[in-house]
Amino acid sequence: MEAAAVNAVVEGLKQAGVDFISLLPDSDFSDLQHRVASDKHFTYVPVSNEAIGVGVCAGAYLSGKRPALLVPTSGLLVAAWPLTSICMAWSLPLLLLIPYRGDIGDAFWLMGPYKDTTEPLLKVLNAPYSVISKNEEISKAIIDAQGSTISWQRPVAILLTGETIK
Amino acid sequence: MKRFECLKILSSMLDPKTIVVGNVGPISREWNALRPSEANLLQVNLGLCAAVGLGISVSLPHRQVVILDGDGNLLLNLASLADMANQNLGNTVHIVLDNEAYEGGGGLRSATAGKADLSAIARGAGVPQTGVVITLEDFESTARQSLTRAGHHFIVAKVDKGSVEKLPTLTLDGKEAKYRFARYIESTEVVQILRPRYTHA
Repeated sequence: MEAAAVNAVVEGLKQAGVDFISLLPDSDFSDLQHRVASDKHFTYVPVSNEAIGVGVCAGAYLSGKRPALLVPTSGLLVAAWPLTSICMAWSLPLLLLIPYRGDIGDAFWLMGPYKDTTEPLLKVLNAPYSVISKNEEISKAIIDAQGSTISWQRPVAILLTGETIK
Repeated sequence: MKRFECLKILSSMLDPKTIVVGNVGPISREWNALRPSEANLLQVNLGLCAAVGLGISVSLPHRQVVILDGDGNLLLNLASLADMANQNLGNTVHIVLDNEAYEGGGGLRSATAGKADLSAIARGAGVPQTGVVITLEDFESTARQSLTRAGHHFIVAKVDKGSVEKLPTLTLDGKEAKYRFARYIESTEVVQILRPRYTHA
């Protein structure tokens, strides 16, 4: 992830009012993760699997925080159950930022299956999403997604692809 | 040791503003009967009681948070213990009412009926204060001590299977429980959590 994309994500998160970040370390987001971990603007809670991250964010939201969960592509599958048992069942918002590995143009064979799982999974989880491929679109997409998740009381995701995760 | 008796003792000690996060199943039903309160967030699904409690504890460090967990609930996401320990919590009492069974799921044995020792696991995960209690007297003294000292306390209370008769039914679904708890936090913390938009912008 290039510095311009990292800056755009952090700027978008701050403008959107996000003040709480949970994540599982992931190579695609590593530069971004280092940034948010060291930025005192964010309460930072790293977790050992993405399911825990969904629960942590649910507790944070109900305590007055504005959380976002940075989810590795494969980790969305781990998060699927609590996205169902907490977010869907309780009608809770959550901003999900996901690197879209396996999107067309990502030739690594091991990522191929995530083209089949990622978007269909978000659809069945009742989580609307935007696919963002240009750095210049990142900040506004985050601000828009955060506004929607809070107002709609259901998760909203941003899938980062193309130059945004190069 | 009866779980309901443990919870009765605990309910007599709690400040009304103490936030309680409860495991789905009989623990939540019993707790609701003993301490009905807007400060309760009950019926938290398997694997998530500790995680939701962690999110609240970190976000409201000035509020006392009690997590009423089950052995099955915690076993599903044991890594929660490590993630909690690394936050150096100063406001959390995490109690596992360990009946060594999936009571809400039919009563089959959990791993703690075999060799798993949740207190040792928590200690290994870095939780600073851990202990196991098997009598009501020990439960009362350990809970009292934990509630009156800042920190992150982890108590495994070994309890019998089985609940009590004629518990009131929980009538809140998750959505209503969410709104009730969020409104309670809004009023006690003077924050706005729920903010639907009425314009396009």
